[in-house]
Amino acid sequence: MQNKTFLIISREYTTRVKKKSFIIMTILLPVLMAALIFVPVLVMLHSERSQHTRVLVVDDTEIFLNTFEETENTTYQYRSGNIDQITKETLDNDEFDCVFHILDNGESLRSNLYYKKSIPSTLQSSLESQMNETFFDRILQDSLHIELAEFQKLQDLTKVNITAIQIDKDGNQRENDADMNMVIGMMCGFFIYFIIIIFASQVLRGVLEEKSNRIVEVLISSVKPMQLLTGKIVGIALVGITQFLIWVVLTTGILFGVQLAAPNLFSSETSTEAATEMATGMANSPDMAALADGNIFQVINNYFPVSFAELILSFFFYFVIGYLIYATLYAATGSVVDNESDSQQYTMPVTLPLILSIIFVPTISTNPNGQLALWLSMIPLTSPISMMVRLPSGVPLWQLLTSMAICLLFLFFCIWFAAKVYRVGILMYGKKNGWKEIFRWLREA
Amino acid sequence: MNIVEVQEVTKRYSKHTALDNVSLSVRQGAVFGLLGPNGAGKTTLIRILNRITFPDQGRILFQGHPLQAEDVSQIGYLPEERGLYKKMKAGEQALYLAQLKGMSASDAKKQLKLKFEQYQISDWWNRPTEELSKGMQQKLQFIITILHKPSFLILDEPFSGFDPINTNLLKDEIMQLSREGATIILSTHNMTSVEEICDEIALINKSQKILEGNIYDIKQQFKNNTFLVEVANDNLPDDQMFGDVFQLVSQKGNEHTTSYAIRIADGHEANELIQLLAQQSHIVSFAEKLPSMNEIFIQQVETFNNQHHAE
Repeated sequence: MQNKTFLIISREYTTRVKKKSFIIMTILLPVLMAALIFVPVLVMLHSERSQHTRVLVVDDTEIFLNTFEETENTTYQYRSGNIDQITKETLDNDEFDCVFHILDNGESLRSNLYYKKSIPSTLQSSLESQMNETFFDRILQDSLHIELAEFQKLQDLTKVNITAIQIDKDGNQRENDADMNMVIGMMCGFFIYFIIIIFASQVLRGVLEEKSNRIVEVLISSVKPMQLLTGKIVGIALVGITQFLIWVVLTTGILFGVQLAAPNLFSSETSTEAATEMATGMANSPDMAALADGNIFQVINNYFPVSFAELILSFFFYFVIGYLIYATLYAATGSVVDNESDSQQYTMPVTLPLILSIIFVPTISTNPNGQLALWLSMIPLTSPISMMVRLPSGVPLWQLLTSMAICLLFLFFCIWFAAKVYRVGILMYGKKNGWKEIFRWLREA
Repeated sequence: MNIVEVQEVTKRYSKHTALDNVSLSVRQGAVFGLLGPNGAGKTTLIRILNRITFPDQGRILFQGHPLQAEDVSQIGYLPEERGLYKKMKAGEQALYLAQLKGMSASDAKKQLKLKFEQYQISDWWNRPTEELSKGMQQKLQFIITILHKPSFLILDEPFSGFDPINTNLLKDEIMQLSREGATIILSTHNMTSVEEICDEIALINKSQKILEGNIYDIKQQFKNNTFLVEVANDNLPDDQMFGDVFQLVSQKGNEHTTSYAIRIADGHEANELIQLLAQQSHIVSFAEKLPSMNEIFIQQVETFNNQHHAE
């Protein structure tokens, strides 16, 4: 009899794996993922690299003479005179890309940036911040009445730098930052959501197909309903795992390939401007140091030294159990209805917790140890997603284990429920089975 | 010996009783017609025989022992509502379903190739099932049903949707299987085919069995002393002869002969009619008119319904 379950698993598996859509999705997604990571970086680097900007500074105040910091991409020259004339001369014959005019009109600072073609988007903000700093230092220095060298010493002394350090249960310290935790958590949460949506709903469609096709009667005369249900759920789970593994391998492969082909892509040799831009939102992150060293894998590894195993194991647990819970519930749903268009009203109660947990992902990730986060990560229908969002920020072990235990217990309930409903449901045609009717099957079956 | 015995089986659903204390037995090697109006409970009985559902009361004996899971491999079932995986290739699909019935992959493949050949659908082995015509899909379903050489076949409305040529093909196949020793339960509304191929029948109406037996016996049981006489047109019998004793039921003729259906009153014999007719006309043929299964079906169901309605 076990042999038949295996036959069903292998059919469910092979028919799906052989589909064109599976092959396309499997190959396309890692490419898209890699593109999502690389294209913005490449575009930014490319535009910054190729565009060398020559700035002519016309400083009427003479405060900013020779204060702008030259970079690989930006060079500064200083000149004085009539601004209209200078602009006309230099821009027309392409001597400079832009003319930066700082007006002297008393107390406040006003400045104009003249250009003909295009200038990098970052130039304006870079000029502003440099001017602010110089101007502020100048005022401070003036009011303190001290020498420049003394002032610079003072400046170094007062520089503030915050490093976030997380201490785990063994007392090990690690530099960490909440933003990155949030990103990792959200990624895990969304990933589980997609896995459940894609694969659990395949179970729904599979059950519906067999029922609306009427092949189910032939099948049920050869195998037990439970064998059919188990075969389908396990078969589709294997498809999911296969796809997941291929994605991991391909994405790693692509990242590694790019790493080899362009070793300097993430290195500090590229313009610091670009690196600074890229790091917006995760500035001061210790990972940026690794990024600057040019090894993206080091970035990933740096990130998980303590809870990497915990994270992966939990991810796998919630991935499998979450899928199984929703797959069994969807299977029960699919067995009750006659066709796909009717299935909406029945899948709604099952899909709702899934949607709720995805709606609350941002809330949970900003406050991973709040009341809402705690409860959502305990309720079995929302916990696979909610707990994964919380996990990278650190969750007490008892909470994690409790959540997992509740999840497992609930899964057993779901299997019991689905088995009863499915057995009766797949042979019921033509009449709409209300929830009342379904609960009656539970009592009788 | 009976291959199947249904013993006092009752099956209830929430709002109605599908089978009410039904007992019947199917003789080994018989072609058994399971008849009844729509919704009578036939499909429920068939599902119980396939172990798809289970009786609330009563039991099923298969080859003398209570029906168990292992017996299913000896049963071939063609459901009324039948379907196939649309996207799966015809050959793969048949192979898969045959293996689910317990055949080995190699044996199933060998047998399937032969059957595909015999039914002239070999070219379709590698085509998705949805590309097959309806008739071809039905052939495929039938092949799948009989491939594992079941000793007991349950065919629920096997002829529906078949054209006359394929219907004949199917009838021949059923007769062939019967000759090879298979027992066949045939559930159908097609009374002509029941008369042609069934040996025995059971009639189920409103979840109760109201009639069971050998077709010959049943016809004998329901005959009402009516005879069909065909006489040559040159000397037609005198209408005066018809009356209380020889009641004229119907009459129709062509340019050469005229046929009379005559019912003979109780206490009189057919020989009297022949003598009377022979004096007046030239008798071309004379036969007892047995009721058709169709007539018996309708009459029995109506009588039963009227009785129960009256209650």
